[in-house]
Formats: sequence, C-alpha cells, structure tokens
Amino acid sequence: MTSSLTVPPKPRSRVRTALIVAAFAAFTAATCIPAIGGIELDLGAIVRNWSNGSGLLAQFLQPDFAFLPRTIGPMLETLQMAVVGAALAAVVSVPLTLWAAAPTNPNAPTRVLVRTVINVVRSVPDLVYATVLVAMVGVGALPGLITLFLFDLGIIVKLVSEAIDATDLPIIEAGRAAGGTQTQINRRGVLPQTWPLFANQWLYTLELNVRISAILGIVGAGGIGRLLDERRAFYAYDDVAVIVLEILVVVVLIEIFSNLLRRRLV
Amino acid sequence: MSAVTAVPTALQVPRRPSRVVPTAVAVIVGAVVLAAAAGLPIPWSDLGSLPGQVAHYLGLMFAAPNWAMLPQALFETWRSISMAWIGAIGCVIVSIPLGMLAARSIGPIWLRLPLRGLFAVSRAVPEVIIALLLLTVTGLTPFTGALALAIAGIGTQAKWVYETVESVQEGASEAVRAAGGNTAEVTRWALWPAVAPTLLSFALYRFEINIRTSAVLGLVGAGGIGSMLANYTNFRQWDTVGMLLIVVVAATMLMDAVSGAIRRRIMRGPRAKAARAQREVRTDVARVS
Repeated sequence: MTSSLTVPPKPRSRVRTALIVAAFAAFTAATCIPAIGGIELDLGAIVRNWSNGSGLLAQFLQPDFAFLPRTIGPMLETLQMAVVGAALAAVVSVPLTLWAAAPTNPNAPTRVLVRTVINVVRSVPDLVYATVLVAMVGVGALPGLITLFLFDLGIIVKLVSEAIDATDLPIIEAGRAAGGTQTQINRRGVLPQTWPLFANQWLYTLELNVRISAILGIVGAGGIGRLLDERRAFYAYDDVAVIVLEILVVVVLIEIFSNLLRRRLV
Repeated sequence: MSAVTAVPTALQVPRRPSRVVPTAVAVIVGAVVLAAAAGLPIPWSDLGSLPGQVAHYLGLMFAAPNWAMLPQALFETWRSISMAWIGAIGCVIVSIPLGMLAARSIGPIWLRLPLRGLFAVSRAVPEVIIALLLLTVTGLTPFTGALALAIAGIGTQAKWVYETVESVQEGASEAVRAAGGNTAEVTRWALWPAVAPTLLSFALYRFEINIRTSAVLGLVGAGGIGSMLANYTNFRQWDTVGMLLIVVVAATMLMDAVSGAIRRRIMRGPRAKAARAQREVRTDVARVS
C-alpha cells in the first residue's frame, strides 16, 4: 500500500500561461503604436469634444415627433429592400447550398469551389459592398438590394451547408440503393428533410436585412439610412432620435413576427 | 348470422393532407415579395445591362490592381485591426461584469430586469448606428472609433455572458453554497471556472465582428482601411479600389481563420476531441442567436 496518493501532474505549465499572456500583451501594445498604424489613446480629444457633444446628446433625448411622417416613405423602402433581397437570396441559396454540402455533392472540386467563393463573398463587410456598388451603378435602392442579396447568400449557404454536413441523412443511401441519381436524391430526399433548416435561415436573414438595410443608406444605398445620415449631417439630433426609435420599433416587430413564424415552421 | 365481415373493395388510404394552408402561405409570401419589388424605385428595364456594367467595373478593379499602394493599405489595415482589438477589449471588460449581474443565479431581480431591458434595447438598434451617433459626439478618430465599437457591442456581448452563466450546471454552485459560500464566492469558485473558456471564445468572436464593423466605421470617416476605400472609391481610382478589396478580403479571412482556430482550441481543450462535434454545433448556434 502506498502511503501517499498518486496525483496526476498539474495539466498547465506556468511557462505556457506566461507566453500566452505575453503574446496578448504584445498584440495589445502593438495596436496602440500610432507609428505602425495603431491607434492613439487620446482621452483629451473626447474631453475637448464634450461640450458640443453633450448638447447633441441632450437634443437626442428630446425626439421631435413632428418629423415622423417624413420617415414613413424611406422606412417603407428599407422594408421593401429587405424583403426582396431576402427572397432573391432564398431562391438562389437552395442550389448553391446543395452544391456546397458534402452529402449532396460528392464531387469535391465543385464543392470546394462553391465554398471558396462563398467564403470570399462573406468576408467583405456589407457596407463595403454598398459603397463600391453605389459607385458602380449609382445611388438608390439597387446597390442596396444587391448588397443584401450577396450578404444573405453568404450566410444561408454557409450555415445550412454546414448543418447538412453535420446531419445524418440515411435517405441518401436509400436513394442511392434505389438507383436514384444525385439530383433525384437531393430533390426528393434531402430537400424535404432539410427545408426547416433553410426556412430558419431565410427568416434569420430577413431579420438581419431589416437591420442592415436601415444603415445601407449611410453610403447612399437607399432607405431610412439615407435620411438618418442627412439629419445627422445637419446635426438635427431630435430628428435622428425619431429615426432611431422607429428603426428600433420596426426591428423588434420583425423579430417578434419571425419568432412566431419560426415556432410554427420548425 | 354470418361470420364473414365485409371485405373492403378498395384499400383504405388515409386522405391526402390538405394543401390549402401551404398554398395560401406561398401565395401570400409571393404577393408580398412582388408588391415590395414593384414598390422599389429601381429601373427594372435597365437590369439587362447590369451584368455587363458590373463585369466592366470588375475588370477595371481586378485586371491590374494597383499594388504600389499596398504599404499604405497594410498600414490602414493594421489601424482597423487595432480599432477592432481595442474595441473588443473594452466591450468585453464592460460586458462581463454587467452580463454576470444580469444572470439569474447572480444578480438580484431589481438589477437584473433593468439591465436586460437595456441590453435588449441596445441590441435592437444596429451597432453601426450606435457607433455613428457616438462618433458625432466624440469626434472622428480611430480611438473614438474603438470606443464606439466597445459601447455598441455591449448589448449583444452581455446577452451572451448571461446566457452562458445561466446554462452552467447547478452542481458546483450548490457545492460552494453548501460549504458556506455567498453569492460572490459562488461566482468566483463555481461559475467563473465553468464559463471562462466560453466567455473567452465569445471575446474573440467579438473581435471578429469588430473587424468587419471597424471597416464600416472607416467608411464614415473614423480612419483605417474603410476610410481609404471610401476615398479611392470617390476618386474612381478603380485599380486601387480593387487592390484594397483584395486586402480587406485577405485580412478578414486571415483574422477569422486565426481567431477561429484559437477559439476552437479554447473550447475543445488539448485532449477533448470526442466532444468536438457537439461543441462546434453549440458555438455555431450561439453565433446565430
């Protein structure tokens, strides 16, 4: 009988912890060096700006609801962009998702190709698309619509194809045993089983679209954001407050609506 | 008296399920989409020339990207990454205590409800708008951009914190309480060790989100790669815009890959490969909500 307990060795070495902390500190320090592009920690600037900033904040806290009628039209445009963008993306997302998931597309080269394209599309921030597209096709709702479409497509294809990858789909084997081609299996077997996954993401992108299309106007891509940016540029913060409140209400309403639908669907 | 029961002449098939509701839903959705499309002020007749137009500009941007500007682009990229990083640190430092106070097992109800209400309201307003409003007040510099990122993200980040804390199993908390620990001690010795890896992973995820948002703040003038992109887009210098887009995509994908690898390592631990798939699903679900 041993007199002392045999304890397993302590899992973490102190050296490793020190290294991790050092790496973290070094990275943080590097982000604070203006000479290499880091940011200058300048609290003084905020103090200097505070006097006119506080005035604007006070104005922001007194919304001028007489402005509300003028916001209805742009808000409607925002919602229209959101709906159409989500619908277009929903239609295009189905074939692309089936291409990007391993069980529904056994052909590796095309699968990798679709995934790479989608990853590239996803890594561009939404407003960057909008900025470039506004310069390409002109100010208005069209660049906003294309932005929403691309953004939604990236999200749906990535999340749903990963979900399909993770699901066990015995129906594929059954379909293959019955002599079905991959297209037939996808159409008759996989789609009916995975469409709740799709529906869930479609609703989610609709929610996201309402939020995003509210800001797309900041770079000239139509909707309520354009009005918001205009009033902000005029320092009319009482109007800005009305717009922000309206966006808040609409976003909450859309979320409630989409949660209700989701509960029914899934 | 006959023992023979009537033999059904036809197979008793259950009735086809009614297709009325799905059809009605499809018709309504279709009508809404069409109405929305018709209401948009888009010249649909010009749409035919759109692919050609886009191809023309893509050619201008990517046929010969202007690599001479690359050093400046990298400088500005680092500025955006710095904004994202400082913003993420600020956001995490504020939202962890606030989120913990809003968790059911820690905060008293009079504190929990107002905090949750505050988070919910700030989540409903898009982050970019919050940041934009703050920037008008504080002035447009990379530092104020970082501050705006920090404040704008608190609503979502704090929600993740209290949801994580509330999903912890009760066992350890009960043990500490049985040993005479008060709420602070339960938090420190039972809850914190259980949630720390997840919170760290969420902190890195905040950094990934901020990288995208910081580019957007740059577009409105806070500095960084977004400002450079907005300027050269306004100058219509497409070869430089093309180069900048390549840099944005490459930098974002690189940072996502590095940060994602670290997050997976944190969540899995060095040995726990068995629970891998399950955890991955959980992180992705959390990402979506």
